[in-house]
Amino acid sequence: MHYNAITRRYFDSAPGAGVLIGPAVGRGAAGSRTQGTWVQFDVQADFATTGSPLLAAARFLAFACPHTIAACAWVVEHAVGRRLDAGLPESVRELSLLLGSPVEKLGRLLTVEDAWLAALSAAAARRVTVVAARDRAGPA
Amino acid sequence: MSGTSAKAPVYMDHAATTPVAPEVAQEMGRCLTADGAFGNPGSGGHEFGDRARALVEAARMRVAQAAGARADEVIWTSGATEANNLAIFGVADHYRDFGRHIVTARTEHKAVLDPCRELERRGWRVTYLVPDASGIVTAEQVAGALAADTVLVSLMHVNNEIGTIQDIAAIAAVCARHGGARFHVDAAQSIGKLPVDFCQSGVDLMSLSAHKAYGPKGVGALLVSRQGGVWLRARQFGGGQERGLRSGTVPTHQVVGMGAALELAAADCEGENRRIAALRDVLWQGLEACGGVIRNGAADASVPHLLNVSFEDVEGESLLAAVSPHVAVSTGSACASASGEASYVLRALGRSERLAESSLRFSLGRYTHAADIERTVAAVGHALAHLRGVGGVISIGGADGIEGTDGVGGAYGIGGV
Repeated sequence: MHYNAITRRYFDSAPGAGVLIGPAVGRGAAGSRTQGTWVQFDVQADFATTGSPLLAAARFLAFACPHTIAACAWVVEHAVGRRLDAGLPESVRELSLLLGSPVEKLGRLLTVEDAWLAALSAAAARRVTVVAARDRAGPA
Repeated sequence: MSGTSAKAPVYMDHAATTPVAPEVAQEMGRCLTADGAFGNPGSGGHEFGDRARALVEAARMRVAQAAGARADEVIWTSGATEANNLAIFGVADHYRDFGRHIVTARTEHKAVLDPCRELERRGWRVTYLVPDASGIVTAEQVAGALAADTVLVSLMHVNNEIGTIQDIAAIAAVCARHGGARFHVDAAQSIGKLPVDFCQSGVDLMSLSAHKAYGPKGVGALLVSRQGGVWLRARQFGGGQERGLRSGTVPTHQVVGMGAALELAAADCEGENRRIAALRDVLWQGLEACGGVIRNGAADASVPHLLNVSFEDVEGESLLAAVSPHVAVSTGSACASASGEASYVLRALGRSERLAESSLRFSLGRYTHAADIERTVAAVGHALAHLRGVGGVISIGGADGIEGTDGVGGAYGIGGV
């Protein structure tokens, strides 16, 4: 199978592969290894700002094809600094075009979106815990 | 592979095809141009045709000697696929009034399975034998499958994906005892790599290919036993060449290439096999050290040049994508194959779909050297580490103080896995 330069670069180097730990980290996963595609995202929220929290860091793990791994790496790289409620940096369709992914792999990119949204949601749910802990600790 | 630059991928796909040996190419070249034997070998009565015909017959003799056959048992074809089709449909058409049952195996090449399926569509019964976990079909299995109306048994000598060698002499004996079942063997993967003795084996029909043995693509042969009294109905009609079994102008340069290639291969088959087996063992030891690897096929009944391995905890397409810039191999991955399905051979041996997809076939050849094995092991090892890290199977550690390996990033401890 032919892979375009973007897919090749993000697949080969897989920037952002790994996991995050910490109270402000939310984790989301989708798919299954037995079915051939499994994706997990960890996203760390920055709750220090007033208003909508921002995404401070993100990491991914993936058991998947090169297009899916490249999509995960690209999303993680481009999501930092965006609002936590902003969804994917690009739509699944745009991601597909960017990576030159064949149409039959659209379902795998939707798995990426599912995992991403689950991770964002999990991170947002951490806000109450994180803010309460910060309040208990008092002013820095 | 010697003769290629250090950055070119290592060629480990000799079971798919081989480069034409320089000596072979030279002989072929002498049959193409005006100063060579370019004449039509079917044209009698002038020097050009006579010269080409002499070369064609000399090539026929060389192929026959390499395969332990008689020259008049060699029918030129365009390759093993055509030879398989001619054998299967040729027997089926000729013996249709004696029976309509064929025996083959699930792990055969598509060039055998697809003709069998076509015959099923035409009302024939086909028994697909299931090999054991190493790919072996026993003579007892064949005997058990034979029926009164069986007219053909078709099994390959060496499996093209896993390299398992079948005991064709024992199966031929079973077919001979049956009396009505002709035995066809696809020997595309064994000719030039294993000693083949067509006459002694008791096989009735044998398909050969040139391009797996450093000959040109586009030429092969069907050996048709004279002593067995096998009859075929032709599939292609026209000029009546090849005793009427395969009409069409014989391509002098192609058959000369096949003859030269098989003669060359037979000359040092034993020594070359020892050398390649040693390299194959080093390759296996290197891959085994990577962990999470399963060898497919029969280690003690396999050709030396082929090694098929399944890799755990990596996705098949990604494995091939990570390896292929460095090493040219074949894969059982669905996405990489034309059929879009995981290797049916490995599935027939009982491998899961995931393991079938994450398998690689390494096939070594005449120009493979120790340095190629080292590069191959390094490339596969790097790919496995990369993909197992990305997949969370092994820790990739924290590089910038944010990443952590807190134990929840492992492969099997996460919801949805």
